[in-house]
Amino acid sequence: MDVLDLARTQFAVTGSLHFLFVVLTLGLAPLVAIMHTRWAMSGKPVHEGMTRFWGQIYVINYALGIVTGLVMEFQFGLSWSGLSHYAGDVFGAPLAMETLVAFFLESTFLGLWIFGWSRLPRWAHLACIWLVTLTAYASAFYIMVANSFLQNPAGAVVRGDRMELTDFGALLTNQTLVFAFPHVIGAGLFTGGMVLVGASAYRLRRRAQEVEFFSRSLRMGVVTAAIGILLTMGFGYAQFAGVPEGKFGSHNVAAAVPLGFMIEFGQLLGLVVLFVMLPMIAILPRARWTHPILIAMTPLPFVLSILGWMAREIGRQPWMIWERLTVADALSPGLTAGMVTTSLIGFGAVLGLLAIVDYVLIARVIRRGPHALDLGATAREEPPTPAMSY
Amino acid sequence: MEVIWFAVFTVLLAGYFALEGFDLGVGLLLPVLGRTRGNRDRMVAAMAPYVLANEVWLVAVAGTMFGVYPLLEGEVLFGLYPLVVAMLLCWALRDAGLWFRRRLDGSAWRGFWDAAIAFGSLGLSVGWGMALYAAATGFEASPVHPLGLMLGMVVTLLFAFHGWTFLGWRTPGVFGVTRPGRVLLVSGLVAALPALGVLGGAMPYLLEHSAPAATLNVLSVMVLPVAPIMLGAQIWVWRTFRPGKDAFRLPSFF
Repeated sequence: MDVLDLARTQFAVTGSLHFLFVVLTLGLAPLVAIMHTRWAMSGKPVHEGMTRFWGQIYVINYALGIVTGLVMEFQFGLSWSGLSHYAGDVFGAPLAMETLVAFFLESTFLGLWIFGWSRLPRWAHLACIWLVTLTAYASAFYIMVANSFLQNPAGAVVRGDRMELTDFGALLTNQTLVFAFPHVIGAGLFTGGMVLVGASAYRLRRRAQEVEFFSRSLRMGVVTAAIGILLTMGFGYAQFAGVPEGKFGSHNVAAAVPLGFMIEFGQLLGLVVLFVMLPMIAILPRARWTHPILIAMTPLPFVLSILGWMAREIGRQPWMIWERLTVADALSPGLTAGMVTTSLIGFGAVLGLLAIVDYVLIARVIRRGPHALDLGATAREEPPTPAMSY
Repeated sequence: MEVIWFAVFTVLLAGYFALEGFDLGVGLLLPVLGRTRGNRDRMVAAMAPYVLANEVWLVAVAGTMFGVYPLLEGEVLFGLYPLVVAMLLCWALRDAGLWFRRRLDGSAWRGFWDAAIAFGSLGLSVGWGMALYAAATGFEASPVHPLGLMLGMVVTLLFAFHGWTFLGWRTPGVFGVTRPGRVLLVSGLVAALPALGVLGGAMPYLLEHSAPAATLNVLSVMVLPVAPIMLGAQIWVWRTFRPGKDAFRLPSFF
């Protein structure tokens, strides 16, 4: 592989890893916020339990979202300085908005939500998780604004040897953005819903004691997944109106294949969710024979999400910015294969291992069920520690 | 407009050093002051509520750099390629250590992630000194220069001192010191000095290499109205977790 392929692989690996965690964050954030709202209004233990259990999964998942996101952000300067040289005046604005406003607030409010448990007033604590959700969606929006600019450089003109921003409004109403953003949000909700379904099915299959807890969660998951897949499919097809000719043609098989797989399997999964799971929603929690199938379906939304990004990003090749700047020209001048190989191995190994650990920890929370959760734990739940340990 | 954005950039980078400085400092002190598991839990619990609100200052620095100094962004990060990669890996390890350390109970598990926190904090602190040295020379010199390493040591010591001061403020007496808030403010300023010095020297260069007016105007219209909210959120964190009778609550999520 030459240096260009290596740099592209590095971005693809960290980007895909990042999105695996982001897509679940986008789906779980509003669900946890809804659970927390119910808890705040009713004060019922089952709602508190749901908030803490699914909140803990959300928060553990969030850890990898952060660290992979950091590596993503800095890679623009490390490997693709040609992009900021040529279009930084345009592309930099949405990226700055994402980091400076959206993520800054999201992280601050998440810290308040996690550590403010039983310390913040009830409604202020609830406000935190809704603010986290709102800013997470704002983050996703600005990232999609930046990405859509690469797909279709609207709102900017080439002046000299650089691009200049002329119309920020056009950046926000980019035809490759208006359908892609709800498509991504739909994919997030679908993923979050299917994780609720799969994990609840696992608990119910194991004849866990918390039947009401996981029956509720499973039904909530099915409804969310149905809304999510409907949004994903609807806005997915709507996107084709804005796809430039030849993007997925025969000369770009590497983009057409993931696209084809995503559409076929997405459609099939959509039919299952909308015409089998949704009508059966009342009996699913008791229909034990369905549970292994529901568990087995959990990874599928993640696979489809990655395929979707592959289609969008490989479909853009060989352009970094469609018909303006090629990826080869966007590469940092002077970057060597040795440099990228070393960093690719470093990022791949460390982030890959951390991702595996993260998934094992999430699986462990699901296996142990809603007992002895760390999120929102108070001193009285701590098992007494022997005095010897100090 | 360039001056306003230079001021924002300075506040963000100095804020990162003053705020994340004590998180890294506590991480550095973990093997020193945290000889027992209970003490390490207390140290991490003391800084835990601040970490998420502190580390985003650097994310904001990078975002501002992309938006306001797009020509510089590639030069700085690419010029320091191996150092930036190493610092990112340290940052990832430190964060993973915080998120993972209390997820399982075994002492090997805890020990491993506590070591990751200390190692990651050390790597980041030394790395910052080296990066500032390279920046001060206009990226002419390699950061692996005796002077760069020395600045790395200085930053590490400043952060460790700042972390120690923070522990004295948030957990008075627990780690042998009691510090009032104003001392913490001073140690924060001292921790930010290396960054402020380098930025002060680079001011004429940065002003000259700002993004064009159109981009800065868009950024100003979008960011400046939200700035009070961002500031408010930060103040909310500091008000919520100020020292009191339950300054650190055990068990803490981190």
